[in-house]
Amino acid sequence: MLHLVLRRLAATVPVLLLVTAGVFALLHLTPGDPIDAMMAESVDAAAKAALRTELGLDQPLPVQYAAWMGRLLRGDLGHSIRNGEPVVESVSRRLGPSLQLAALAMAISLLIAFPVGIVSAVRRNTAVDRAGTTFSLFGICMPNFLLALLLIFVFGVTLRWLPISGYVDPVEEPWDGLRSLALPAVTLGLALAAVVTRTLRSSMLEALGEDYVRTARAKGLAEGRVVRGHVLRNALIPVVTVLGLQLGTLIGGAVITEYVFALPGVGRLVVDAVFARDYPLVQGVVLLIALGFIASNLVVDLLYGLIDPRIRHR
Amino acid sequence: MASSIPASVIADRRWEVLRRTAGARLAPIGAVVLVLALVVAVAAPVVAPHDPIRQDLGNTLAPPGRAHWLGTDNVGRDVLSRVIWGTRVSLVAGFVSVAIAVLVGGLLGIVAGYAGGRVDGLVMRLMDAVLSFPPLVLALALGAVLGAGLVGVLLALGVVYTPTFARLTRGQVLAVKARDYVDAARALGAPGWRIACRHVLPNAATPIVVQASLSVAFAILAEASLSFLGLGIQPPEASWGSMINAGRGYLQQAPWIVFGPGAALFVTVVGLNFVGDAVRDALDPRARG
Amino acid sequence: MTVSRRAFLKTSAIAAGVPWLGLGPGAAAAADPPKKGGTLRVGFYIEAATMDPHLSGSKIDRQVYHNIYEPLVTLDAKLGIKPGLAESWTQPDPKTLVFKLRRGVKFHDGTDFNAEAAKFNFERMKNEPKSVRKGEVANIDTVEVVDSHTIKVNLKKPDAALLATLTDRAGMMVSPKVVQERGAELQRNAKGAGTGPFEFVEWVRDSHLVIKRNEAYWNKQGGPYLDRVRYRPIPDDVVKLQSLQSGEIDVMDYVQPRDVAAVKADKNVVVLDVPSLADFAYQLNHTRPPFNNKALRQAVAYALDIEQIVKGVWLNVGVPANGPIPPTSWAYDKSIPFIKRDLAKAKAKLAEGGQPGGFAFTLTTNNIPINVQEAEVIQAQLREVGITAKVNLVDSATLISSGNAKNFEMISYQWSGRPDPDGNTYQFFRTTPGTSLNWSGLSNPQIDALLDKTREVSSQAERRKLYSELTKLLQDELPMIFIVHPIEPKAFSPRVQGYDPIPDGMMRFKDVWMR
Repeated sequence: MLHLVLRRLAATVPVLLLVTAGVFALLHLTPGDPIDAMMAESVDAAAKAALRTELGLDQPLPVQYAAWMGRLLRGDLGHSIRNGEPVVESVSRRLGPSLQLAALAMAISLLIAFPVGIVSAVRRNTAVDRAGTTFSLFGICMPNFLLALLLIFVFGVTLRWLPISGYVDPVEEPWDGLRSLALPAVTLGLALAAVVTRTLRSSMLEALGEDYVRTARAKGLAEGRVVRGHVLRNALIPVVTVLGLQLGTLIGGAVITEYVFALPGVGRLVVDAVFARDYPLVQGVVLLIALGFIASNLVVDLLYGLIDPRIRHR
Repeated sequence: MASSIPASVIADRRWEVLRRTAGARLAPIGAVVLVLALVVAVAAPVVAPHDPIRQDLGNTLAPPGRAHWLGTDNVGRDVLSRVIWGTRVSLVAGFVSVAIAVLVGGLLGIVAGYAGGRVDGLVMRLMDAVLSFPPLVLALALGAVLGAGLVGVLLALGVVYTPTFARLTRGQVLAVKARDYVDAARALGAPGWRIACRHVLPNAATPIVVQASLSVAFAILAEASLSFLGLGIQPPEASWGSMINAGRGYLQQAPWIVFGPGAALFVTVVGLNFVGDAVRDALDPRARG
Repeated sequence: MTVSRRAFLKTSAIAAGVPWLGLGPGAAAAADPPKKGGTLRVGFYIEAATMDPHLSGSKIDRQVYHNIYEPLVTLDAKLGIKPGLAESWTQPDPKTLVFKLRRGVKFHDGTDFNAEAAKFNFERMKNEPKSVRKGEVANIDTVEVVDSHTIKVNLKKPDAALLATLTDRAGMMVSPKVVQERGAELQRNAKGAGTGPFEFVEWVRDSHLVIKRNEAYWNKQGGPYLDRVRYRPIPDDVVKLQSLQSGEIDVMDYVQPRDVAAVKADKNVVVLDVPSLADFAYQLNHTRPPFNNKALRQAVAYALDIEQIVKGVWLNVGVPANGPIPPTSWAYDKSIPFIKRDLAKAKAKLAEGGQPGGFAFTLTTNNIPINVQEAEVIQAQLREVGITAKVNLVDSATLISSGNAKNFEMISYQWSGRPDPDGNTYQFFRTTPGTSLNWSGLSNPQIDALLDKTREVSSQAERRKLYSELTKLLQDELPMIFIVHPIEPKAFSPRVQGYDPIPDGMMRFKDVWMR
């Protein structure tokens, strides 16, 4: 196990280098200058030039990258150009809401996916299965800003059951916090539910066809025992994979949901930073997202080991 | 894993998959939808009742009626015609980006799987890097560099889906490598690329098709999402995504602006999913049970 | 332009000197006394950038500043200049301004506001490396402390527009003690820094910014009444409007033209049409083809139907523009018509410019819905005379860079506007080498001379004549094609009372109270 972890961590370094170099190059290729964007209504060319020099933006690109790397190795992710806030602070402030939203969305998706996926698999090709499959399709086939729009219209404006926008921290105010995250979590959760349902269904179908299931049935074990005892456990592996992969998307990619519901999340942070050409912020956040992604992959692999003993001993 | 399978059996298998795909209940619906979309896209100039970019500032936000079956938008353009022409954009966005991903990813996967060792490691690290890269940052940056048009979106989506196909192909290559007949072929002196073409591709074809059909669906949705951020098709042309996005603000006054393209988007994506699912189910030997 | 009845009542009330108190039905006879209390929840389209007025370059920051900071002089509803932190001022000669500062004013941290503090502020604006105010106070040479509450400002050149500039950030006074003790932190935390009717409480970025009533405010007339004001950024304007309609926020800073009619019909919301100082235009690049050719510029101007654009795209939430000066300004000359569409003249100008069959160019514009719509309408209009406009949608940062680098042919430009006409003209039309806001590269000696004179002359009547001449010249030279002076409708919950709109668009909550 430890060997696996260490090996993966070592492999991480070149990946991170590639990602950061890629972001750096791409950002600096895009037209637009953070100082111009920040001081759009100012006529003061000298002040802008002075600021550029102070931030090192007039240096050649390789020098800038090296400088950023150097600071990184000392543990300094730099400061946002727009407001001078340390990047680490910006990210940690936005990480909470993003993680909470992701967790809630995953919970919702599992709540839907488990019953629907299992029943669909067990009662394969019946009307129930077809209904379940079609329902799960619904979640994937809607662009999420459209879904958000409809949810807001129904639950926020018409019924007034839930707040339309804004974020309240559930840690500080549980009830209001959950209410503020409800609509966005459902928006994300429905799409995720669709993916998880399908994965669970197909992996259960596969597991149900395995020899040991036939053996268990032949031995006379009740269907429920069979499903719960053996099939589910093995069917979970792909589900865990999918959830792990989706975590990255949920955190860094929930931009549209965050934008529409006015949630202070990481997705919007990075997109706003790109629009403002806030280079240090974009680079820092991308690095952290990449790290997070790799870490979650690692956790998924470790979980494999827990679920499937065969893997543990490799 | 199965031991060596002669080529004729593989061919038979493929026919069987096709037959079973066609037999699956939902597949015909999906196929019909796809064919319809293709026809509409190709025949758009003929099928569309009005000029999609002709404005009529005196007749804005008109509800669906005889002259305009899906109503008009905020500058008086016919929504139905724009949805029809938008089919082209959405299908191009879906198919071209996935084609890029299949070609580039497939190639990388074959190279990695076949060469093995350090090359394999390098390629997989690269794919990991692409996977960890936030797709939106990529799309935004490409949009700013290349201009906000469709090309940037196609490239960005192509890059984003490449690792999926690379992994898929690589997995297939590794599986095939392990089979006896490859050793036999090599012993007989067949060159590597011939082995790749003759043995890897046919086997890989079906999982790639399954994944591709699902990816096309996602790509079409992704194009819609990217238009939300201002990327993609340029005015005055329309894509379903840009129409939904532009119509969002009029949802209460003129919902047809959103629901026209929204329905088209939904139906197409559902159709693609049906086809992909059907192929995948057909591929599963246990489905017979 | 159709003026809403409410707005009409308001303007006439103000013209008659009657303070505008109520907004709800029957409010014209408002006899309810204001009551203290309540939290006003405000929704803005974007997050503020910084709390330091000397370093601020963004329009949205000013909305908060006008409640927690105060400038030396302020604006009234007719854009006249009235006393703020300066009780009175005199101008002994064109290059000197003497301000008598108000006594008994304290910063929120308890320190006194006095001449030393004022001098400190001006020097900070000029010398602080990241100061964005440098250009605005460039004409100020030195500031002398005459006595504890009098300062003498020595100018390098006569500057008739300076007083108007001092009604905004350049005149805002920050506590020297706060700057000295936590200058770098001021960007995020403005506790104790201002003198205004509200004081800064906290700012959780991208979530909310809270200010609370200043119990020790120097002005005992009127407010502040509200306990707190809570600002929230809601970037999606559809959601923002829905938030107001469902009662989640009480105030909204801007209603999109497409929503105005529907919102006005909604009984749960009160809309106020606030004419703004802004202008919306397209800059034409004089330094490269095709628009280095004056006849072709004029061809485009004659081919455009500005009235139709204002009616079809802006839905008449705005006035067709005849130039950079908005109708709310004293310098506006309503006798000068905006350029009306004339296809015959357009075609003649095309021929004069050597392109009788039309020509093609690229229109660079910002990627927001109303700009996109406008670009599409312009494309359609120009097509009628054979001019092909290819639209290039870019994001803000790219737009600004392209403009600064003069890397465009025709580019969209929005200016939020300044109370003095100088702020809407000088920096855009004066010959300026290097990078500047003069994106078009206009260099016309006649216009230069006019602009310089508007700063030297101090009589408003004379300046008005100069600006009229300038407007006519601009319609000929066409560094920009002006489209519209937008109205910026603001929307409120009916519980909000006492809002007094000033055309600079800034929302000042001093006298606002909630039912």
